Amino acid sequence: MRPTSGFARALTIGVAAAVVVLALDSAVHVLMAQNPFGGPRPSAEPQVRGIVGWLLSKQSEFYREMSSTIRAAKSDGSAVWTLLVISFAYGIFHAAGPGHGKAVISSYLIANQETAKRGIVLSFASALMQSLVAVAMVGICAVLLNATAKTMCGAEKAIEIASYALIAAFGARLVWTKGGGFIRALQAPQALPAMALAASAPHDHAGHGHDHGHHGHSHPHAHVAHRGHEHRHDGHGHDHAQGHVHDEHCGHSHGPVPSELAGPGGWRRGFGAIFAVGLRPCSGAILVLVFALAQGMFWAGIAATLVMGLGTAITVATIAVIAVSAKDLARRLSGASEGGGALIMRGLEFGAAGLVLLFGVGLLFGYLAAERVTCL
Amino acid sequence: MNSFMCGLLGWLLLAASCALGAGAAQAHPHVWITATSELIYAPDGSITGVRHAWTFDDMFSTYALQGIETKTKGVYSREELASLAQTNVESLKEFAFFTFAKADGNKEKFQEPVDYFLEYKDAALTLHFTLPLKTPVKPKELALEVFDPSYFIDFQLDDKDPIKLVGAPAACQLKIQRPTDGTANAQKLSEQNFLSGDNSNYGAMFANKITVDCP
Repeated sequence: MRPTSGFARALTIGVAAAVVVLALDSAVHVLMAQNPFGGPRPSAEPQVRGIVGWLLSKQSEFYREMSSTIRAAKSDGSAVWTLLVISFAYGIFHAAGPGHGKAVISSYLIANQETAKRGIVLSFASALMQSLVAVAMVGICAVLLNATAKTMCGAEKAIEIASYALIAAFGARLVWTKGGGFIRALQAPQALPAMALAASAPHDHAGHGHDHGHHGHSHPHAHVAHRGHEHRHDGHGHDHAQGHVHDEHCGHSHGPVPSELAGPGGWRRGFGAIFAVGLRPCSGAILVLVFALAQGMFWAGIAATLVMGLGTAITVATIAVIAVSAKDLARRLSGASEGGGALIMRGLEFGAAGLVLLFGVGLLFGYLAAERVTCL
Repeated sequence: MNSFMCGLLGWLLLAASCALGAGAAQAHPHVWITATSELIYAPDGSITGVRHAWTFDDMFSTYALQGIETKTKGVYSREELASLAQTNVESLKEFAFFTFAKADGNKEKFQEPVDYFLEYKDAALTLHFTLPLKTPVKPKELALEVFDPSYFIDFQLDDKDPIKLVGAPAACQLKIQRPTDGTANAQKLSEQNFLSGDNSNYGAMFANKITVDCP
């Protein structure tokens, strides 16, 4: 079924607006929350009591059980199973609570027309990397170098900053690419002078070539405009802009070419997301690993860390799938409509890209102080 | 159309809860500290400083001891822990020692910590340190809060006699509010946050509030 009525359109706009507003609100909220000079936080109190409060207390409960379980595992082998179960549960709850990982991955997926399957793969890969980084760090620092907690925490901080910088850079790149699409979508509905077109054209040469070829209407003048930036043919520019609208929201079933994005280049970009998110080890995992090491149970610590990562991956993947499905729905609803639908989609993508950048910058400059390692 | 609407509504709710979830994303503690504190009074009845004794949880204690050389395995003398204690108090400076004092509503500042040392007992490290006030004060009401605004560390006052008044005038009354004291506390906090914007941080909800009234 294809709801093409004005009603569906209005709904789409409503959904998109709600998502964008909520996303922005939450981002601002997160940013303000930890800013000592930020505004008041009226909604702070219910968070502790509600679902989040419950998540926090569960998480703390599991986490605090870990140390005694590792101790018990020294003499009682079956306690290792308990440890694994606790670690798994901790991973699930941990990712559902705080953490930028799921926010970055979900935003990335929305910005990039990703499939749910890729969302799952990205979630698992980044969680696995996170676990391995933690194991490698403790393995090198504590086991090989017998470094002190101070040194280790320093290393953790350095990795953390690198990870946040990567997220910011990654977000900036997304904003750059998605900004082009959004600007084109913004400009598309109006009849454009070629000038504006030329300004946005460099972002998407490949796309132009592809789509034009596909539809069989070649626009030699468009190529002139691209290459030479000859802005004198106003009429041509206008024509081209119209053709562009046609391409942009892809009334044709082949959509915004997801296959292109999931191709080699797309996977490479996905790798960027895995790396940016997975580079930063979880402080909890490092504490557990060092503790296990001190008990002569390093292997149990490694197993716990990997299982923790598995739990984290499941939560992040769930959220990622929800994000992708929500966007798919929005796309289906707006897919066939004229300019407005495309505008919403490009706007959503642009907003999501901006969110990744915002997270990166916020984390990097310490506005999200809650996500900073505290070295004592 | 009906089922379609239902689906849409479902997704809307899910998306909204996700966005709100992201907004609610906050730290959770990785370190637990059981605290006891002493308020130190001068003979003239003014407060000169705070002496803390913070016991770290099992896991963090072990973590902190990583790489520390000892003569006897598992036994850590005060001297062997001296450099770690030094690191601790230096690091704590960045976080204002998680100790926030107000004398009759005015924020008070602390000097560098003195008399600091670590003690290792029953698989737990305890950090002792004294924070002298920049200038001793003699307020009608002293409010002291101990908490980590980012809630990386969870502070809990010890069950028994967590706060002692050392040399305080006899008329002084001590009141302790633990974060688990219930909803009235949380309610008050949220109003405070709302109205003044002061303490606009998450960890404040888990703050231990100590007040001393000296008429």
